[in-house]
Amino acid sequence: MPTPSQHPILPFRSRRNFLGTLGGIALTHLFGRSGALADSPRPELNGGVHHPAKVRRVIQLFMNGGVSQMDTFDYKPELEKRHGEKVDFGLTAAATSVPGAVMKSPFAWTQHGQSGRWVSSVFPHMATVVDDLAFLMAMTSKTNVHGPASYLQNTGFLLPGFPCMGAWISYGLGHISDELPTFVVLPDSRGLPYNNAGNFSAGFLPMAHQGTIIKPTAPTPINDLSPPDWAGHITSQSEADGLALLDQLNRDHLEAHPADSRLEARIKSYELAAKMQLSAPEALDLSQENAATQRDYGLERPETADFGRNCLTARRLLERGVRYVQVWSGMGGPSKNWDNHTDIPNELPFIATSVDQPIAALVRDLKQRGMFEDTLVVWTTEFGRMPFTQGATGRDHNGGVFVTWLAGAGIKPGVAHGQSDEFSYQAAEGRTECYDLHATVLHLLGIDHQRLTFRHNGIDRRLTDVHGHVIHAILA
Amino acid sequence: MRYLTLRLVAVLVVTTPGVGHSQDAVRFERDVQPLLSRCLQCHGAAEPSGGLGLNDRTAALAELDSGLHAIIPGKPEESELLRRVIAEDPSERMPPKGEPLTSEEVAVLRRWIEQGAPWPAHWAYRPLERPAPPTPQALPHRDWAQTPIDWFILQKLHEQGLSPSPPADRRTLLRRITFDLTGLPPAPEDVEAFLADDSPDAWERVVERLLASPHYGERWARHWMDLVHYAETHGHDQDRPRPHAWPYRDYLIRALNDDKPYARFVQEQVAGDALFPHDTQAIVATGFLATGPWDESSLRDIRDDTIDREIARYLDRDDIVTTVMSTFSSATIHCARCHDHKFDPISQEDYYALQAVFAGTDKGNRPYDPDPQVAERRQSLQRELAALPARREKHDPALLAPALQQQVAAWEAKVAAQASQWVVLDPEAFGTENGALLTRQPDHSLLSGGPRPATEVYTVTARTTLPGVTGLRLELLTDPSLPQQGPGRQDNGNLHLNEFTVTAAPYDDPSQSLPLTLINAKADFDQQGWTSAMAIDGNADSAWGIFPEIGKPHQAVFELKEPLPWDSDATLTFRLQQTHGREHLIGRFRLSVTTVAPPLPLNTDSLPAEIAAALRIPAPQRTDAQRVLLAAHVLEEKLSAELAALPPPSLVYSGSNDFQPDGSFKPAATPRPIHVLKRGDVRQPGEVAQPGALACLPNLAPQLTMDDPTDEGQRRAALAHWLTDSRNALTWRSIANRVWGYHFGRALSDTPSDFGQMGSPPTHPELLDWLAFELLESGGSLKHLHRLIVTSSVYQQSSNATESPSPQAQSLDADNRLLWRMNRTRLDAESIRDAVLHISGMLDRRMGGPSVKQFIESPGIHVTPNVDYRNFDVNDPANHRRSVYRFVFRTLPDPFMETLDCPDASQLAARRTESVTALQALAMMNNPFVIRQSEHLAARLERERPNLPQQIERLYELTLHRIPNEREQAALSHYATQHGLANACRILLNSNELMFID
Repeated sequence: MPTPSQHPILPFRSRRNFLGTLGGIALTHLFGRSGALADSPRPELNGGVHHPAKVRRVIQLFMNGGVSQMDTFDYKPELEKRHGEKVDFGLTAAATSVPGAVMKSPFAWTQHGQSGRWVSSVFPHMATVVDDLAFLMAMTSKTNVHGPASYLQNTGFLLPGFPCMGAWISYGLGHISDELPTFVVLPDSRGLPYNNAGNFSAGFLPMAHQGTIIKPTAPTPINDLSPPDWAGHITSQSEADGLALLDQLNRDHLEAHPADSRLEARIKSYELAAKMQLSAPEALDLSQENAATQRDYGLERPETADFGRNCLTARRLLERGVRYVQVWSGMGGPSKNWDNHTDIPNELPFIATSVDQPIAALVRDLKQRGMFEDTLVVWTTEFGRMPFTQGATGRDHNGGVFVTWLAGAGIKPGVAHGQSDEFSYQAAEGRTECYDLHATVLHLLGIDHQRLTFRHNGIDRRLTDVHGHVIHAILA
Repeated sequence: MRYLTLRLVAVLVVTTPGVGHSQDAVRFERDVQPLLSRCLQCHGAAEPSGGLGLNDRTAALAELDSGLHAIIPGKPEESELLRRVIAEDPSERMPPKGEPLTSEEVAVLRRWIEQGAPWPAHWAYRPLERPAPPTPQALPHRDWAQTPIDWFILQKLHEQGLSPSPPADRRTLLRRITFDLTGLPPAPEDVEAFLADDSPDAWERVVERLLASPHYGERWARHWMDLVHYAETHGHDQDRPRPHAWPYRDYLIRALNDDKPYARFVQEQVAGDALFPHDTQAIVATGFLATGPWDESSLRDIRDDTIDREIARYLDRDDIVTTVMSTFSSATIHCARCHDHKFDPISQEDYYALQAVFAGTDKGNRPYDPDPQVAERRQSLQRELAALPARREKHDPALLAPALQQQVAAWEAKVAAQASQWVVLDPEAFGTENGALLTRQPDHSLLSGGPRPATEVYTVTARTTLPGVTGLRLELLTDPSLPQQGPGRQDNGNLHLNEFTVTAAPYDDPSQSLPLTLINAKADFDQQGWTSAMAIDGNADSAWGIFPEIGKPHQAVFELKEPLPWDSDATLTFRLQQTHGREHLIGRFRLSVTTVAPPLPLNTDSLPAEIAAALRIPAPQRTDAQRVLLAAHVLEEKLSAELAALPPPSLVYSGSNDFQPDGSFKPAATPRPIHVLKRGDVRQPGEVAQPGALACLPNLAPQLTMDDPTDEGQRRAALAHWLTDSRNALTWRSIANRVWGYHFGRALSDTPSDFGQMGSPPTHPELLDWLAFELLESGGSLKHLHRLIVTSSVYQQSSNATESPSPQAQSLDADNRLLWRMNRTRLDAESIRDAVLHISGMLDRRMGGPSVKQFIESPGIHVTPNVDYRNFDVNDPANHRRSVYRFVFRTLPDPFMETLDCPDASQLAARRTESVTALQALAMMNNPFVIRQSEHLAARLERERPNLPQQIERLYELTLHRIPNEREQAALSHYATQHGLANACRILLNSNELMFID
């Protein structure tokens, strides 16, 4: 009898019908670690699924609210020239306001690194690692509204109920370690993003593939990892003896009900749960990191400590076999995020400072530890902002263009692909969408985005819907 | 892997029986269609490769791009299709990727073409006829068979050389059926009674008892709620709770318990309001149309002239259309949004015809009167009110009737008395700080116009000649120049008055100026969380607002803590600080003073300007037009007052065009034009679509007829009739298949919401049709269908594979598609939770009402509240209600239930997944709910039994419905002695034996 992980999910119709026959649904769903495809080289190393993989694990840094591209990475001299002018963009209304006059970036700009990337003064630390990053300067979104736009960037669809990229990757590749979840989400310590847990949903995929939310500083960082404090009758001894008793009861039951792998799987799940109770607190214990590392990530500075802690935690989780970690900056709602409608000169530096040093430290740290060999870093947001003002000094939503960058395994460092028009209002060339980004991430993981499918209500669904082109320009 | 391969081979034999029946006549659906369906990715209906479409016979027989014919009936050797599948040259051979067809498969195709390539209609669209059940006399095991269902099953088993399994033991059977029909475990007394009952109809009586239990409706409503993605929040980024969604859930439970005929059940949900307007419950049923997510920011908050708003409207209708057609027709209509359906005969025109059915339908809180008499009175008053403007315009002589004119006189006297209590101030000076322009109006109000800054402060100076002023009044007035008529300047008509402060000075001595202390603010309306008291609380972060009561005048009154001390005239200087931001400015306002002793009078009927003007003319000098105007106004007041005196209507969150408007989200008076969108893109609108249904049923036309196509409800009513037509085979097959699936853990067609070409054909098509026909014939009684199914021998078989008399069954049909045994199923999330409560003795069996929130809810930073499951009081009685009454939050689902595979409530879930994870084990061991219920269970055992061995025995009776064996008794006792009975209970609640139903 093979262990459940050896049973692949078969995505093609002819084979999927067989799948349904493998002793019930259970085998395919066990532990959420079923590989997605048949006839595939196992992805334990870099064999990939459809082609060799460059990447084994991913960390996505999601800036929630819509990062202002022309105030961070997209330098536009034209905005300085035309500052204060009313320019007709052919737009009577932005998402929430009437277009104001053109507004230049209020920040100082300089070029950095060998690559000469322009970076504004809000990211002094990220500026020092630009030669490791590959920029997508002409990302676009179909919508200018936070909810649908966040769904789009996470799931490829405007509506709720679709699996996010982390869930697809969990479904497609399974786990690296069975002692930790495959797909972990570290939300901003102040709260969840727009759409809340909808952004981390498994949608119609088996629920086991949804993101496991970890709140490193909460009393219970993972739901139900340990019993509540008031349960005084639960001790380590009661649990050890209890698990042994349960094991005995379940094995007796199994003997009377043979040939049902789900029963065995459930027995095994309690062994794994016990292991996770030990491995998760160890992974989250940042005191094991030396002082210099903690300082690099900004743990000593109040303004960077929260995000720094999550970045460092993410690195530790990846090291211990988590496949996909999503780290969020900014919570839902009108403030304490990147949704700077009112006051770019003051709101943006506040949130930018909170991530700048930690992200630069993460990039350097991953590189120094050799993790860039098989780890991908993705920095992204749900849309950009407008070249003209909203109110006095704010900027409204703009799906026309925004910036994303990638770094790490398989990525050509120090390059940029695409560019916006002279105002950074729309993509001008090398336009890319979330589908292209998702296709590229899957490609690096050894997955052909057109072949990672799941049939739901009559459609073979894909992360990339009917779109998506791998962005070869930024691949090494 | 060897094991796996063996199984795959075995399954091949089962699922492509044509291969094993090489000498029989080829049957299209069984033998040919599975082969052709492999080609549909390239040779489907949309842009078929090489001009060959294999989606239907006409396309398959048509001339190819090459001029050849893929299929020439009767002539296999001339048929290009056959040549290509056997071509030696890999560049010619089909399929281009993967393994070539086997020689047996080629033979099937050859014989089929020889036989004339018959291509019967797709199984799901074929007209429904009652198939004759197989004759049992011809079959072995005929004594095993008790019902026609058994004969259908037996015949298939016989064809594969398999035998059915023996019946399960009575304990197992009772557990199985009790969970199946009620979602709860049996009580030990039920087990005892059933075991002791040796009458021949013991089983039938159990079935009747359970079908009559109110818990039946709760259990099966929960299945339906999965199907229609019921939840009680909007989803999306503004995941606002829907406090009026639950009446629909109660409707479902009631309808199922009442065994409402299925056709009526469908009609009520799609168009109950239009078809049965006098049936309150039929209105509630349309909650069905609004179960899905709703994008509040796109549909309400952004500007309504944006493309994002238009996209959101189409997508919202897509949710409704998809829910309707997936639920009732098992049709994947949503595949045709951007292009014709790739595999099924559903065109893009069909899809947009269905969008057109719902072109005027929006999701919103619909008022309804649970009392039919109240409903009738309300309707008649509303009719009269609606007719008034026309009567006024036409100078209806009835408005000049003496009786009515007397009422006008009485009213005028009352108004005069009230008005005299307040003296309107005439502003002497006024100004703004951020650029808005105030202009003085004839009625002494100030109208704000010009630039609209995000924040603003108005200052107004006025003289009062009244001595001893005791209070101030601020009227917010409407004006046609304001958004939504005002009274605010925000796009949504709202305003926020953060601080309202006043200073006073003797008119002739400004140096004596002193600030006035305002107290006891009250207003005719306060926005939730934004009360008039907040305008005088000294906190500039809070404010008075009036949303959603926009488009009408409002007023607030404020007492002076001390009356003005001077006898002389005074100068009052008002400061109206509006610093909330986002243009929440006052649009038009007026200030007054009074000298009456508190409490201050608060009028809720500020007069419109034209009425006030007419009143200023002495009565004898008024023209007829003015008298008509006043009479209409008085009549309107009277009717409105009577309307207001009716009991307030209840609300249900449902789909229609009758709902409370919310900002720029307003009902469409008539259905909106729907365009066939090229590639599903709103920027590429094509022809206007007319309402219609699916064209794929050979005996039922897609045209919908209605008297008035501009009536929103009539469009839905027409579709409801189409759906429930007895000729609509999809509807009846769909529900029969679902019911079977919930009983067996797997439906006959394994894709219950996809009956198209790419769905799974039913394993027992004749049985499915027989069930569908039985349902139709019984008048749509689902309980009749349940009875038929659970009294069959198939249902009562053992689930244990080792008890099968066919040793080859496990290898031949490991997946049990032929039902040689019963399926073993894992309890779903709700059943686990409810079973734990049932066993602990804490289950609260109350039915219905608002959903219980099993979380702490606190205001969030924006719309979505904060939701905390972890710290929710584990002793809160809300925990003890059945899970069907749980408040389901779309983007903040209960992690405990999610871990147990409760589906994402934004997706239509035709069936649940069953996962096994470490996180699930942790939840069952450590979740506070399980731990506290284990303690309750231990306390119950201690109450009910005197010593530990008996307590353990009772624990087994309650949990597993049997007596523990010696080994179990010893192990549990030992553990309980060491770690307490509560821990022992918790361990047993985690056991596989509880979690799985044999």
